[in-house]
Amino acid sequence: MFSLPALLYLSALLFSIGIYGVLARRNILVVLMSLELMLNAVNIALVGFGRVHALSTTSGEHGGQIFTLMVLAVAAAEAAIGLSLLLLIWRRWKTIDLRELCRLSG
Amino acid sequence: MFAMVAGIFMLLDATFLGFMQLLVYAGAIMVLYLFVIMLINPRDETLPDEGGTSEKAFAAGVSLLVFALLTFGISNSDLVTEMTTPGGIPALAEVPATHGAIEAFGYELFSKHLLVFEVASILILVGIIGAVHIAMKQKPASADEEDSNEERLVTDV
Repeated sequence: MFSLPALLYLSALLFSIGIYGVLARRNILVVLMSLELMLNAVNIALVGFGRVHALSTTSGEHGGQIFTLMVLAVAAAEAAIGLSLLLLIWRRWKTIDLRELCRLSG
Repeated sequence: MFAMVAGIFMLLDATFLGFMQLLVYAGAIMVLYLFVIMLINPRDETLPDEGGTSEKAFAAGVSLLVFALLTFGISNSDLVTEMTTPGGIPALAEVPATHGAIEAFGYELFSKHLLVFEVASILILVGIIGAVHIAMKQKPASADEEDSNEERLVTDV
C-alpha cells in the first residue's frame, strides 16, 4: 500500500510545515498547533519504520507503535500545559502575541 | 488533518494506535483548543499582526532547508533503500491479523515495555497537576471551569 520513502517524505513535509508555523506566526495558539503538527510528523515516521521492522521479526514487534503512544502522551501533556500557560498569559496581559512576551529580556 | 494521520496509522496495521490518535487529537486536544479559544474569545484587534516579509522569508528558508536536508537524507540513506521493497510495504505474513490490534499491542506494552508505560503515566500525572495549578485563578472560588477542562483532557488519554 505505502512505500517507506513516501511515508518518510510525507513526514518530512509535515515537519517542515510545522517549523514554518512555529517560526513565522506570532499567535501562540497557532504556534502550539504547529508543534502538534511536528509531533505528528515524527509519529508517522515512527509507525512506518516500526511496520517495516515488524516484517523482519517473527513475533511482529510493536516497538515503533509503543514509542508513538509515548509521543502521544507527551503531546497531550504538552497541549495541557501550553494551553494553561496561554490562559495565564491571557489573564495577566490580555495578549496572545508572542512578541509582546519579551518582557523577560529586561 | 489528525484524522488523516489516524487513517494512515490504520492502513499501516496500527489499528489501536489509529483509534488512540483519533481519540486523543480529535477528541481531547482539539476540544481543549476550542475551549481555550472560547475562553479567551479573541477579537480582531487582539489578534497579533503577523510578521513582515523578512520574518516570513526567514521562516520559509529555515523550513525549506530542513525539508531539503531531510529529503536528501531519505533519498541517500542506505538503510532506507535496504528497507524499501518494490510495490510498497509487503503484508505481514507471520502475524497477519493481530499485529497492531489491541490484544497483541497491550500484551507487549505491559510485558516488555512496562517502564515506558509507567514513565508516560507519571508524565501525564505531572501534566495534570501542573496544568491545573497553572490555570488556577488566584481566588480558588472561580477556578472550577478551567480545572474541569484540563482534567477532561487527561482522563481521555
